[in-house]
Amino acid sequence: MNEELDSQLSAMFDNELPAAECELLARRLSRDGDLKARWGRYAVMGAIIRAERGVTLDGTVAGRVSVALTSEPALTDEVPPSRGRVQSRWWQPLAGAGLAAGVAAVSIFWLRSQALSGHPQVMVANVAANSGLVAPVAQRVALQTSSVTPSDSFVVPPASQGQMMVVPATELADYVVAHSAFSWPVSRGNLLSALMVSEPGTSSMPAGSDQPAPGVHGNAIQNPK
Amino acid sequence: MSADASDLSLVRRVQRGDKGAFDALVLKYQHKLVKLVMRYVRNPAEAEDIAQEAFIKAYRALPQFRGDSAFYTWLYRIAINTAKNAVVSRDRNPVEYDLDRSNTDESYDMQGRMKDSETPEGLVLTDEIRSTVNAAIDALPDDLRTAIVLRELEGLSYEEIAAAMACPVGTVRSRIFRAREAIDRRLREVFEGGLGRAEELG
Repeated sequence: MNEELDSQLSAMFDNELPAAECELLARRLSRDGDLKARWGRYAVMGAIIRAERGVTLDGTVAGRVSVALTSEPALTDEVPPSRGRVQSRWWQPLAGAGLAAGVAAVSIFWLRSQALSGHPQVMVANVAANSGLVAPVAQRVALQTSSVTPSDSFVVPPASQGQMMVVPATELADYVVAHSAFSWPVSRGNLLSALMVSEPGTSSMPAGSDQPAPGVHGNAIQNPK
Repeated sequence: MSADASDLSLVRRVQRGDKGAFDALVLKYQHKLVKLVMRYVRNPAEAEDIAQEAFIKAYRALPQFRGDSAFYTWLYRIAINTAKNAVVSRDRNPVEYDLDRSNTDESYDMQGRMKDSETPEGLVLTDEIRSTVNAAIDALPDDLRTAIVLRELEGLSYEEIAAAMACPVGTVRSRIFRAREAIDRRLREVFEGGLGRAEELG
């Protein structure tokens, strides 16, 4: 046993050893019988210096406790939170609020993106626009789903009789729909009309029309609110 | 440096399942606890029983110890409550105590109640330990004796001792360690000789 170790043991006995050194020495102390015996003798010295009358010095209590605890199960590793952990909880409400705000922001963006591209009618219209023709099946599906709320909807301009309907560019239509919630109905209609006019073959669409033309519900795009 | 770092490091080890670390805590505080309990009971053997019970209670309650207070403060509270309960229980059931004594085999009862410290060899050993330690302390150089006495008798911290002795804290630590080493050399001989004598007597 070296002198430095004994010096550390003496300081640890007095609670004067730095915590980092205590961790290492505590591990050794719990396993090293010689070190533990020396530790016990340090306690005996203190008891005698303090003239603790009536106190026995041959460690009977320690021996009996040790024997009694042999039948006790070892404690688990579930240590309750220490004071330091409790003090470090000040940030938890802030973290919770930040997390809630993040979830709310993601939800808003997700709902908006759903409203733009995930809505059934919009999807049908997009498919039709991208394919370059209006499929009768798509028209029926959109008609069924949009029949519940036929009012206050934007209308893709109808094709003239015997002529294929041309849908405005998808990106522009999406952009208009996305911003429709923040615009007046009149200006919204004007913008759509302007888009229709700019597209070839759509000049038959009356400018400023905000009402669905008869028989064109299949391409109706509901206004996201 | 935490004032209770060494106890806390041992406590944490016990909480992780290391029973050996609890032995160290018992060795360190057993004498103080018996002395404390003897404020409530006069009989040293009964005080030892209560101290033992307090240590076992502390072990079982250790998972709930969070380190908000010093370990010895927490342990002392357990010991005081255990001692008070023991006194109340004894006062309530004095007849039962007598009946137990009369109904059990006397030789077994006496053997069970007689602790190691009360046996002739135990008492001799205790006296020899006391005289040896006192003689060793008397033989210490002044600076070592002052340092160890200020620490053990007055309970001063190393910093307070350094201020009192006008020396660095490191010197205090060294003096206390060397004082303990000097006493321990003498004490080891007694313990080893005492154990030898006990075997001869047995």
